[in-house]
Amino acid sequence: MNHRGGWALIKRTWMSWIQDRGFFFVLAFGWMIPPLVALFAWMAAAGNGTIAGMDRRAFAGYYLVLVLVNQLTYSQTNWTLGDIIREGMLDSWLLRPLSPFYQVLSSEVAGKVVYMVFVIPATGLLAILLQPKVDISPSRLGLFLLALILAWGLRFFWGYWLALIAFWASRADALLAVQDSLVFLLSGVVAPIALLSPSLQTAAILLPFRYMVGFPVEILTRPLSDEILLQGLAIQIAWLMTALLLTRIVWRAGIRHYASARG
Amino acid sequence: MTIPLIRVDHLSKVFRVPEREPGLKAAMRALFHRTYRQVCAVQDISFTIGEGEIVGLIGPNGAGKTTTLKILAGLLYPTSGEVTLAGYIPWQRRAAFLNQIGMVQGNKSQLLWDIPAMDSYHVLSEIYRIPMRQFKETLDELVRLLQMEDLLTRPIRNLSLGERMKCELVAGLLHRPKVLFLDEPTLGLDVTTQNRLRLFIAEYNRRFGACILLTSHYMADVEQLCPRVILIHNGQLLHDGALQGLAERMAPFKLIRVTLDGGVAINRGLPQLPEGAELLERNENHLILRCSRSAAPVVTSCLLSACPVTDLTVEDPPIEAVIDQVYREGIA
Repeated sequence: MNHRGGWALIKRTWMSWIQDRGFFFVLAFGWMIPPLVALFAWMAAAGNGTIAGMDRRAFAGYYLVLVLVNQLTYSQTNWTLGDIIREGMLDSWLLRPLSPFYQVLSSEVAGKVVYMVFVIPATGLLAILLQPKVDISPSRLGLFLLALILAWGLRFFWGYWLALIAFWASRADALLAVQDSLVFLLSGVVAPIALLSPSLQTAAILLPFRYMVGFPVEILTRPLSDEILLQGLAIQIAWLMTALLLTRIVWRAGIRHYASARG
Repeated sequence: MTIPLIRVDHLSKVFRVPEREPGLKAAMRALFHRTYRQVCAVQDISFTIGEGEIVGLIGPNGAGKTTTLKILAGLLYPTSGEVTLAGYIPWQRRAAFLNQIGMVQGNKSQLLWDIPAMDSYHVLSEIYRIPMRQFKETLDELVRLLQMEDLLTRPIRNLSLGERMKCELVAGLLHRPKVLFLDEPTLGLDVTTQNRLRLFIAEYNRRFGACILLTSHYMADVEQLCPRVILIHNGQLLHDGALQGLAERMAPFKLIRVTLDGGVAINRGLPQLPEGAELLERNENHLILRCSRSAAPVVTSCLLSACPVTDLTVEDPPIEAVIDQVYREGIA
């Protein structure tokens, strides 16, 4: 693996993205809106009381952490991968003695840095206004960071293998739209998992989407037992392994197809 | 005799292309039942290319040039046949192989548009692990040859097409590839820039001994750069040799341009021309005749003895006309 080249690529992509920071700030703002709408709706519903044990400050804590986690785990790179494959731009990646994965990783890392320049101050300002309730004990913070990294890996690689379907289907990005909808519904964006109906809660616990966003948020904002925490981490790791395996299979088959079928 | 660096042996490439009839009904039917047709892009072609050679790969649109180039660069698998480049099988895309090739396409950019070329060059130096000293030497030399010192610090999006192509060429050459694939490198450029790039490519080949495989629809590129051309048409190799050889093979006639003495030419008729010679054009005292190569000496002698000739030249037809004929009719 040519890590030196990969790191240089990441720096260059970051330099390029900084040039268009205004565009990315607007994108980041757009992605903040659905969780913020849900936040204000739940705060209004809670009033001066509680819903499933959550008061206004608990909702504020949950959704402000969710805004950060959502931005850190959202992979905009996968949306452009289909175009790159369809329009033959993958050629210039394949001509270099560097894994094409670095190209994707570079825009992923560059994106996170640029988005955070906007999202952290915006969330900080909202935190001052809304006085959120968050458990930031060292043990919870450590578990949160671990779950956050796993959540990023899971959301990224799940979207990556779906985007790679573009090797065969010209508009595979429709699958990413489906993924986003399921994340919105089952990852705790529309409502914390505890507030969903029992059948949806079961689906959320079994499917991968909760572990892309909601699970790390719950670690900092919900009173999860040790058993639930360990179970959550185990499921998260299992889904991440599945996503990595699917990525490997689809990439290998896809690149073989790409090199065989294009005119 | 040069050492074969590229060896292509009975190479074929067949694509499976989806197709459907026009119209809504056919579109709906295609949702459930797609039909395909086989397109033979390259058919059983063989050639070798030695170190330091510049070879033009020519042919009409859809002839199979870019497919061949992509197979050689490791971007496509062939359907059958064998290819080796510097001892490597291209489509295995080993790092050692990729370090030895470079590809520049006139219609595709490999540089990021928002940042200056210099930033991209530094990344390439890391990707190819070029030692800093060699990187600086190569960059200085390429920049001097292309006279582009002032372009390095400007974002690519602010450069003209010609300036951009200079930057692309440098990006493709920084790691000093042994084999350089140039796919339409002068596409859309003005005549002056085309000339400069041609001079640069020739100079690069001379200095670094790189093997260059070039495709272009501009015959000037091919005429000035390629002592050898490979003509592909409908996926088949029709000619492999000198461009002049192609002209001789394809155009078995000569053009004779004659200027007659203005004072007497108007009232005098032409002599009886030998068989195979014909008058193409007459403009007062200037004539253009076409005749078979074998008849050229007889026709010339006939004209010189029977007419008041003040000037006479015998020449091959323009290469563009020959190539046009090949593209339209193929080679019999």
